[in-house]
Amino acid sequence: MTGTLFGGSSAGLMQRLRPTRVSVVDLRDVADAVLPTLGTPRLRLGLVQRSGAGSVLVVEEDERQVRIGLHELADDMTRAGVAPTPTGIAQALTSWVAHRPVPDAAAAAGGIAVIDWADALQTSIAWRVVVRRGDLALPWTPSRGAGPDEVHRARTAAEGRARDVSLDLRVEGPVALWSHRDVAVLATSALVDPERMRHRIAAAGLDMPDMHVVVTPHRPVACAGPGIAARLAGESSEASVTLPRQELADLAWL
Amino acid sequence: MSAAPAGEPGPETLVPHWLAGEHRTELATAVRAALTGRAMHPVAAIHLEDVLTELHVAAARDAVWPASAARVRRATGWGEDVLPVRLSAAERSSVLAVPGLPDALRAQLGDGTDA
Repeated sequence: MTGTLFGGSSAGLMQRLRPTRVSVVDLRDVADAVLPTLGTPRLRLGLVQRSGAGSVLVVEEDERQVRIGLHELADDMTRAGVAPTPTGIAQALTSWVAHRPVPDAAAAAGGIAVIDWADALQTSIAWRVVVRRGDLALPWTPSRGAGPDEVHRARTAAEGRARDVSLDLRVEGPVALWSHRDVAVLATSALVDPERMRHRIAAAGLDMPDMHVVVTPHRPVACAGPGIAARLAGESSEASVTLPRQELADLAWL
Repeated sequence: MSAAPAGEPGPETLVPHWLAGEHRTELATAVRAALTGRAMHPVAAIHLEDVLTELHVAAARDAVWPASAARVRRATGWGEDVLPVRLSAAERSSVLAVPGLPDALRAQLGDGTDA
């Protein structure tokens, strides 16, 4: 997971096998230069010097706060194979900041409804609000302070935005495949309106009266009749959930 | 290269046959010709229709979950367009009964282990 957190700045297999240490001194130098460029009126980033201990990187945005010791962050970067150069560390730090938690206000203002794994073992799926940051889509977990009405409004608005996500449709014989060009998890945004999917599939020449969906979060969504959906998913060793389109609305929210 | 347990596969077990794009096209062409060209037992026709479906489903499977087939291709050195086409014993038998099936394709489907 840490490799993902630090984006594409990793230096490849050899660097991960025999990592060159990202030093705390170098990380601090980079942080001093980079953090001021990433901050906004709502997003505050800074280094706090603890007496008798190392510095702590503090990221605050609305009700969310993340704190990590520079030593710990440097170790994480080393383990992830981050190139120990100013450019490599700067890219990794920028990516780490981009992966910060999503505040309630950001979810309310720009959230998009998608389907994600509901458990670590990838056996069940659920609706979730994500917020785009560049090519990332970060999941929102409502804060403790968010009331039920606020959460409901954010989810409803996210469903509306999901309808506006532009997806690619590919018809492969009796199977329709939906994908997003840049952010894989957004492929499931279409599932907020399965009837509209069915109409678009029909317009592409494929009639699908009993449409089932094969959902693997972060992968393209496949739609097909029940027998073909079973053949598609049943012969794959990869995790997926197949369900009739009518059951999509009954999935829980994360 | 078989996902089936040891011994004869059961009737519902689908066995992967790793076919390049060219061979998948040849297979589809031969099956379509058989379906349109002559009278055929309806059960055999159903199996052949399922083979045509599987050719599409194999491509869809690779679009949704590309990693597993890619691992096999890397390990074997097979080309990028080689995909596992999963057929039941009945589907495979129906294909092998198709007249004019190219010999190379027939050899590949013979025991499911060639590519």
